[in-house]
Amino acid sequence: MKKSNKQVKRLFSAPADGLTSLGSSLICVFIGLLVGFLIMIFASFSSSLADADPLKGLGYLFSGPFTALDKANDFGNMVFYTVPLIFTSLSVAVAYKTGLFNIGAPGQFLMGTMCALLVALSIDSTSNATQGVFIWILALVIAAIAGILWGLIPGALKAYFGINEVIVAIMTNWIAANIFTWVFSLDNLSFMVNKPGGKSAYLLTTSSTGNGTPNLGLKALTNNSYLDIGIFLAVVIAILCWLLMNKTTLGYSMRACGLNKFSARYAGINDKKNILIAMGLAGALAGLGGALYYLNPGIEIQYQSVYQILPDYGFTGIAGAFLANCNPIACIFAALFIRYINASGTNLVSVGYNRYFADIIVAVIIYLAGFSNFFKGLLIRFKHKDRDAKQASSLYEKILVKGLKTKGGNE
Amino acid sequence: MEEKPQYVIEMRNIVKDFPGIRANDHINLQLKKGEIHSLLGENGAGKSTLMSVLFGLYQPDEGAIYKDGKEVHIKSPNDATALHIGMVHQHFMLVECFSVLDNIILGDEDSHGGWVTKKKARAKCEELMKKYGLEVDLNAKVSDISVGMQQRTEILKMLYRDNDILIFDEPTAVLTPQEIENLMKTMKNMAREGKSILFISHKLNEIMEVADTCTVLRKGKCIGTIATKDTNQQKLAEMMVGREVHFTVPKADAKPGKEVLNVSHLFVKNPYTHKETVKDVSFKVHSGEIVCIAGIEGNGQTELVNAITGLENVKKGNVVLNNIDVTKKSIFTKIKNGMSHIPEDRQKYGLVLDYNIQQNMVIEQYRDKKFSNHGWINFKKRKEYSDQLIKLYDIRTSQGSETITRSMSGGNQQKVIVGRELDKNHSLLVAVQPTRGLDVGAVESIHKKIIADRDKGSAVLLVSLELEEVMNLADKILVMYEGEIVGSFDPKNVTIPELGLYMAGAKRMKVDENGNSLGEGVEKEVATLVEGGHKNEEIK
Amino acid sequence: MSATFILHQTILCMIPLMIVALAGAFSEHSGIINLGLDGEMIFGAFIGCIFCRFMVNGNVLGANTATNQWLYILGMLIGAASGCIFSLLLSFAAIKMKADQTIGGTALNMLAPALVSTFGLMFFNSERITSGGSFQLSTSTYTNAGLTGFVDAINNNSLLDFLFNGIYTSTYIIIILFIFLAIWLYKSKTGTHIRACGEHPQAAASVGINVEKMRYLGTSISGALAGLGGFIYIATQTGTEAENSVGGLGFLALAIMIFGNWNPLWIGLGSLLFGFLKSLAVVYNTIPLLKNLPLPMYFYNLLPYAIVLIVLIMTRKKSGCPKAEGIPYEVGQR
Repeated sequence: MKKSNKQVKRLFSAPADGLTSLGSSLICVFIGLLVGFLIMIFASFSSSLADADPLKGLGYLFSGPFTALDKANDFGNMVFYTVPLIFTSLSVAVAYKTGLFNIGAPGQFLMGTMCALLVALSIDSTSNATQGVFIWILALVIAAIAGILWGLIPGALKAYFGINEVIVAIMTNWIAANIFTWVFSLDNLSFMVNKPGGKSAYLLTTSSTGNGTPNLGLKALTNNSYLDIGIFLAVVIAILCWLLMNKTTLGYSMRACGLNKFSARYAGINDKKNILIAMGLAGALAGLGGALYYLNPGIEIQYQSVYQILPDYGFTGIAGAFLANCNPIACIFAALFIRYINASGTNLVSVGYNRYFADIIVAVIIYLAGFSNFFKGLLIRFKHKDRDAKQASSLYEKILVKGLKTKGGNE
Repeated sequence: MEEKPQYVIEMRNIVKDFPGIRANDHINLQLKKGEIHSLLGENGAGKSTLMSVLFGLYQPDEGAIYKDGKEVHIKSPNDATALHIGMVHQHFMLVECFSVLDNIILGDEDSHGGWVTKKKARAKCEELMKKYGLEVDLNAKVSDISVGMQQRTEILKMLYRDNDILIFDEPTAVLTPQEIENLMKTMKNMAREGKSILFISHKLNEIMEVADTCTVLRKGKCIGTIATKDTNQQKLAEMMVGREVHFTVPKADAKPGKEVLNVSHLFVKNPYTHKETVKDVSFKVHSGEIVCIAGIEGNGQTELVNAITGLENVKKGNVVLNNIDVTKKSIFTKIKNGMSHIPEDRQKYGLVLDYNIQQNMVIEQYRDKKFSNHGWINFKKRKEYSDQLIKLYDIRTSQGSETITRSMSGGNQQKVIVGRELDKNHSLLVAVQPTRGLDVGAVESIHKKIIADRDKGSAVLLVSLELEEVMNLADKILVMYEGEIVGSFDPKNVTIPELGLYMAGAKRMKVDENGNSLGEGVEKEVATLVEGGHKNEEIK
Repeated sequence: MSATFILHQTILCMIPLMIVALAGAFSEHSGIINLGLDGEMIFGAFIGCIFCRFMVNGNVLGANTATNQWLYILGMLIGAASGCIFSLLLSFAAIKMKADQTIGGTALNMLAPALVSTFGLMFFNSERITSGGSFQLSTSTYTNAGLTGFVDAINNNSLLDFLFNGIYTSTYIIIILFIFLAIWLYKSKTGTHIRACGEHPQAAASVGINVEKMRYLGTSISGALAGLGGFIYIATQTGTEAENSVGGLGFLALAIMIFGNWNPLWIGLGSLLFGFLKSLAVVYNTIPLLKNLPLPMYFYNLLPYAIVLIVLIMTRKKSGCPKAEGIPYEVGQR
């Protein structure tokens, strides 16, 4: 008995995490696509989708932007839209690893956008390209600071008063939305409004002041899409986040707080400090996401309606983070994947479906991502097809589900 | 021809497997009506599992259970209750925010059209309270009452359901010696009334005192069943561990040196209930000495240790460590000034279970230059350190330093904590219940290490609920009762029963600021108004 | 502007908020975190809306708009049933598969709008589905029903005017339902069992309570109430038109639940406070004192959120959060 006990434990501690996590994610994706395909088949029987072709639709699902009429443009846009999603996913992921649920990403996203645009739209650099770049960098820095401060509101209230960060964040989301429209409705800032363009509900784009995100030729490469260097920034920052969480002492203490705040306190780790840093960082990331998106010279924001609708990127970031299992580098791919499926969705229109079918698939995949323990168990059982395996997978499950050790007990 | 059933409960050839472990290996158990039958075994012997099978929490993989000679299938606690089998668990199954009465009737409430009615239940409870002498406050919230009263609530839960077969899982772990005596009396009462009792224990003296029979389990197997009148503690112990037991660990005399810890006039107040949990506690611990705080759980030891280590706030008073006043300083400062702490709850405080061994080993020192480089973790040095400690403290692992601590056994988890706290530089070791839940071998090993630490010059503050451990390890014993130090003893000059009296508040002595006795203890006068208004002189 | 109008606005906001907050509390009291309230609201609203549209368009049983309160009630039941069924996705994931409940709830919040948009566009050619239903009770409702005497009484009595004019039947239904369910949760046998499962599932199991069943029940009631709240939201605030969003009301309800410390009484009061503050944003222009202040509507919009924050800071007390919520129940865990 002792021997098989040891074997079982070795199985569990085996490189279970890296490869099985990936395997589990792939299973989620596969089942999600399958479900989507089934829905498309059923939908094609309805009269309203008489000309829908499910087989072609499946092909389109896999092809992302590559079935569009203008492939390069669609691809470039897809990558561009990934940028804010990477940032908001990172924002949620970093906070979650520290034990906090950052549902305030939309508000931080808006605060970052607001400050970035305030900077970028108020200084004219149309005649000085170098100045334009400096102002752009300044706008990003201010956006990050704004995000930090906005993230610190739920952070500080949690750290010092023990107030649940979810409720504070929900409040700050709506406060931010209202502040945003309020600020840009002020008379002194009316010069930022797109009055000459006849779209007075919108702000000007940064192309009007020359402070927009440079694209270093990417735009021309992708047939005039929105793609700019923001994607490089996103990837670099994602890597930095990964290094922070896994290779630094600060990341070690943040994760300790997230895994067991009692133990962290006992060991002298200042959990208040870690909560503040995590929420500040999360706020900065979300703020940067918003800033980078709207600093693009081609993107405009309808400021008048901001107070009514929270930015979708803030909430999809939660999905991205979970899909990535809160691993910063995986966030890049999770965000890219979500945007890829979205691009597929848009192109589905040309085979008779509508673009929301893709959203269903993403939602199903996220749902299945919650079953990761179950899938991992299945994979381990499949890998070791012997008596120990059943024990292994159920032991694995038991251990993953908050352990089966009692207080002070031996097994 | 049907024989008249001799046994009210018979468990035949019970086998129960868990992943990788055979917890019960063909166990046979027979319980007679009106018998008090004890189950003896070390941690992990399979006693709790066997009783959980009887109570329907687990299903046996093989074997059968017979009640009054007829085979029964107990698939859930509901089935068990229907057969009038009840269980008081080691970790109380009480809903903290519900009242005592609500807990007693939980799952079995009288109802009128779906709405709960409590009148009949209340009357029945009061009757049971009188009949068996079990005092509880039916309206109090469970989170507000003492541990002893919580246990009585559990017992009433069983009696309320007219249970005839009563299972107790380590019932005396949290009781005062006087409450233990009361429990023994209650059990004998219940047995006389025809109830059959099974109780799990690893305390030999209790088994000898109250049980009629004892079944000994070891590593899942039944070693034997014997009537207590035909045996003694030594024999039972040998059956339990299978080898000669050393009741004491060799310990040289203490050579106390300079003062390391000075606790003076400490007061701690509970922030939720505003009750003073520590009242004017003063004592000193010197290097090379083990001071042990003895007492029943819930008398302020936890709060005292938390205040000293920094997990709780101090209301008044001072904690001075190596001549530095650390009363209001952070835990980080205390650790830096030489404090090591083996916490009471190893899974909640002692370890980050989802971290591996090496990550846990450096949790207090991860920022040191030893293990990091300007904020970047030095993984190599960490692993070296961890590998070293694994060898030194004989920690059993499946993957060495990479083993996730959640997958380890309680004993090995404790060794990680002990290794970490003893190895790092420290002048004060605060150890709370360091051997709880561990098997005899592990207990011995940790006791040896603590004594070795003392001999190296550490000041050791030990808090323990096991009087045997206290007597074994302490150089000086301080008894805590209701937040105060009520006695100071040299273990060579005091007996366990004597300690018990102080622990129950029946006796107290004056103790000075150093934690030394100022004279003989006196029996406490307790004014209890009994009919004529006469005072009751002593609590026995 | 009359006090009646302010009160009506308050109630308008308060009713869906309080029932969905109670929905969240039900689930959490059984031990399951239900973050999917928003999604359940959207789904319940959608199905209820389609039902009403079908009935009205097909003139089924003489259904047409405001006169048919029975259609409204049927719609509410359908909305509740849909929310309940939708929530089974969450309860299955959380209870049987022991999945992370945060993820499950988030998935529901993503799935519902996706389903609404997809099928809305497919069957109704629009992401916004109209139902043709309008259920507000007004004097014309009573006139059409031939209750002219009642109409006169309303016009002459301001209390009757407040109680029966410009209000919805759902208001009264929800208030009664809310009080009933709150009492039921604490005083009934099943309600007590549900709460035991959220506080100490092992204790509940040890006395024979089926923890899984209780958690399914708690979460299903939660889903039903959320679906109900969603349908009522669209019926009272968007002209019974369903789309892929309920304006974040699900998350707001979550906040009110936490604000109310998981206790129905405080949830009700919190919803009332919030509803009142929100109504200020609609009516402040009509109050001379406020109109003269140089504060735009955005200030009044964010006032309720800011005040909730301030109250939270001032009253930080012990959390009433059910002890065992969010932790999957494992048989045999001791």
